[in-house]
Amino acid sequence: MLIMGDIPQKRKPHRKEKCMSKTPILKIENLTHVYSKGTPFELSALNGINLEIGRGEVIGIIGHTGSGKSTLIQHLNALIKPTDGKIYLDGKDINESKQSVKEARSRVGLVFQYPEYQLFEETVYKDIAFGPKNMRLTPDEIDVRVRASAQFVGIGEELLERSPFDLSGGQKRRIAIAGVIAMLPEVLVLDEPMAGLDPAGRREIMENLMGYHQETGNAMLIVTHSMEEAARYAQRMIVLEHGRVAMDGTPEQVFSREKELKEMGLAVPEMTELAEKLREYGVPLEGTIYTVEQMRDALLSLKGGLQDA
Amino acid sequence: MLKDITLGQYFPGNTVVHRLDPRTKIVLVLIYIVAMFIAESFASYALMLVVLASAILLSRIRLATVLKGVKPLILVIAITAFLNVFYTSGHILVEFWIFKITKEGIFNAIFMALRIIMLIMGTFMLTYTTSPIMLTVGIEQLLGPLKVIKVPVHELAMMMSMALRLIPTLIEETDKIMSAQKARGADFDTGNLVQKAKALLPILVPLFISAFRRADELAVAMESRCYHGGEGRTRLNVLTMGGRDYISFALAVAVLAGVITLAHFGL
Ligand SMILES: Nc1ncnc2c1ncn2[C@@H]1O[C@H](COP(=O)(O)OP(=O)(O)OP(=O)(O)O)[C@@H](O)[C@H]1O
Ligand SMILES: [Mg+2]
Repeated sequence: MLIMGDIPQKRKPHRKEKCMSKTPILKIENLTHVYSKGTPFELSALNGINLEIGRGEVIGIIGHTGSGKSTLIQHLNALIKPTDGKIYLDGKDINESKQSVKEARSRVGLVFQYPEYQLFEETVYKDIAFGPKNMRLTPDEIDVRVRASAQFVGIGEELLERSPFDLSGGQKRRIAIAGVIAMLPEVLVLDEPMAGLDPAGRREIMENLMGYHQETGNAMLIVTHSMEEAARYAQRMIVLEHGRVAMDGTPEQVFSREKELKEMGLAVPEMTELAEKLREYGVPLEGTIYTVEQMRDALLSLKGGLQDA
Repeated sequence: MLKDITLGQYFPGNTVVHRLDPRTKIVLVLIYIVAMFIAESFASYALMLVVLASAILLSRIRLATVLKGVKPLILVIAITAFLNVFYTSGHILVEFWIFKITKEGIFNAIFMALRIIMLIMGTFMLTYTTSPIMLTVGIEQLLGPLKVIKVPVHELAMMMSMALRLIPTLIEETDKIMSAQKARGADFDTGNLVQKAKALLPILVPLFISAFRRADELAVAMESRCYHGGEGRTRLNVLTMGGRDYISFALAVAVLAGVITLAHFGL
C-alpha cells in the first residue's frame, strides 16, 4: 500500500511524536445541544458532554438509536453550533470565527451515514478531488491525494474515470470515504461507515480504515451499532445514553458492565454473552471475553487445567 | 435553518379546533377571508380579532408560533403600510416637501397592515391544526362535484398529498447533503452570484437523483398494492360532520352577517 507520507502535508510531525504529545487533539467541554429551541418540538439531544480525544486514538462510539451520536459528531467540525459549551481543536475554540470553522472543517474529516448520497461529479476522480480542491491545493497535490486515497479504500485506477453513479453501493461508499480521506484530516470521524453492507464488505472497509490509521497515525472516531466491530478495532469505547456519556473506557471495561449495557438497550458481543451463559452453568471461564480468540484461549486454558487435575 | 420554515406545518393536537372536520375548517377559513375583506371599521375589526383570538386560544397553539408565520412577510406588510400613509388624501397632519401625511392615511396603513397580518394568521391556523392528509381529503371532497365536468379531482388530490408528503423529506435531504458537502469544505455563503450558483451544483445533483429514486420507489410501492386511480376506491376513515361543525358554521355565518351589517351602516 502507498505510504501516506508521499502525500504533501503542510505539517507532518513524526508518528511517534504525535502519539506521545500529551495535549488532546479535540477537547469537548460541557457540550449541550437543543434542537428547535423555542418551538413546540424543542428537544435536548446532548446534555453536558465532556470528552478529550487524544492524538492517534481509535475510538468506538456506541449508543441506542436517538442517544445523540450523530448530533455529537456533527459538532466536531462545526457543522452544528453548540447551544452551550465549547469544542477545542488543538486548544483553539472551533466556533470562534469563520476562519476557525474553516480550519476545523479541513482538519476534522466527517463521513456521514450513507455518504454515497453526496456524490455529484461526473467522474470518481473529480468527486474525490472536491475536498482537496476546496482546500485550495495545487493540481499536483490534488492528484497525489486523489490517487492515494482511492488506493486506501481499495478503488482501482481503472475506476477513477468512471461515473460514480454506475458503480455498486459498496463502491460508492468507498469513494465517498475516499473523498474525505483525501483532505487528510487529523481526526477522521465516521458515522456508521458499514451500515447496509455485507459482512465481507464491512470487514474490508474496516481494514482499509485501520490501514489509513496506521499509515498516518491520525485519530479516528467510529460510530457503530456493532459491538463486535467496536471491540475488535477500538482502543477506547464511549457509550452515549440520552445525550450523556454513560461509559468511557477500554472495551474490557465497558463490556464488563453487561447489566447496565442491557438496561440501555445495548447488547454485549455474542462471545461475552456466551461466556456469561457458560459461567451460569458452572464453567469457570476467566477474564473478559468479547472476541472468538479470547473465548478460544479461555476454553483452552480451562481444558489444560482440567487435564492437569 | 431550512427546517425552521413553518409553511404548511402541522402541529398535532387534540383540541376542538383540531377535531373539526377538515371540510368545515376550509369553508370557515374561506368565510373568514371574505369577512376580512368586507370589514372596514373599528367595530368589525374588533369582531374579527375576537374570532381569530378565540381560534388561537382554543387550538392551544402558542401565539409566538402563529406570529412566526407572519415574519417572512413583514417587509411586504411594512412597505404596503408605508405607501398607504403617503398616498391617501384627506385631513393633512404633517406636510414636508412633496409628502403629505394624512389622518386617513395613518388609519388606512394600520388597517391594511392589520388586515394582511390577520389574513395570514387565519389561514395558517388551518394548516397548523389540520394534517396535510386531512387537508387534501377535505379538498378532494369539497371539489367532488367537479368530477361531473370531468375534472380529475382524485388525481389532483393524490398529487397534492404526495407533494406535501415529500416536502419535509426533501428539506431534510437538502439539509443532509448540504452538511455533507460543507464537511468537504464546500462554501455556500461567500463569492459573487456566479460562484454561489456554481456552489449549488453539489447539492442539486444528489438532490435530484434522490428525488427521482424516491418517486420511483413510491410508484412501485403503490402499484404493488394495486393502486389504479380513484375509481371504486373507498376510504378507511370516512369524514362525518358532527355537532361542533354545525355550531361553528352557525357562528361563522353570524359573524359574516355581523360584519356585513356593520359595513352597511358604515360603522
Ligand atoms: N435535525 C434535527 N432536528 C430535530 N431533532 C433532531 C434532529 N436530528 C436529530 N434530532 C433528535 O435528536 C436526538 C438525537 O439524534 P441523533 O441523530 O444524534 O441520534 P443517533 O444516536 O445518531 O441515532 P441513530 O443511531 O439512530 O443514528 C433524537 O431524539 C433525534 O430525534
Ligand atoms: Mg445517527
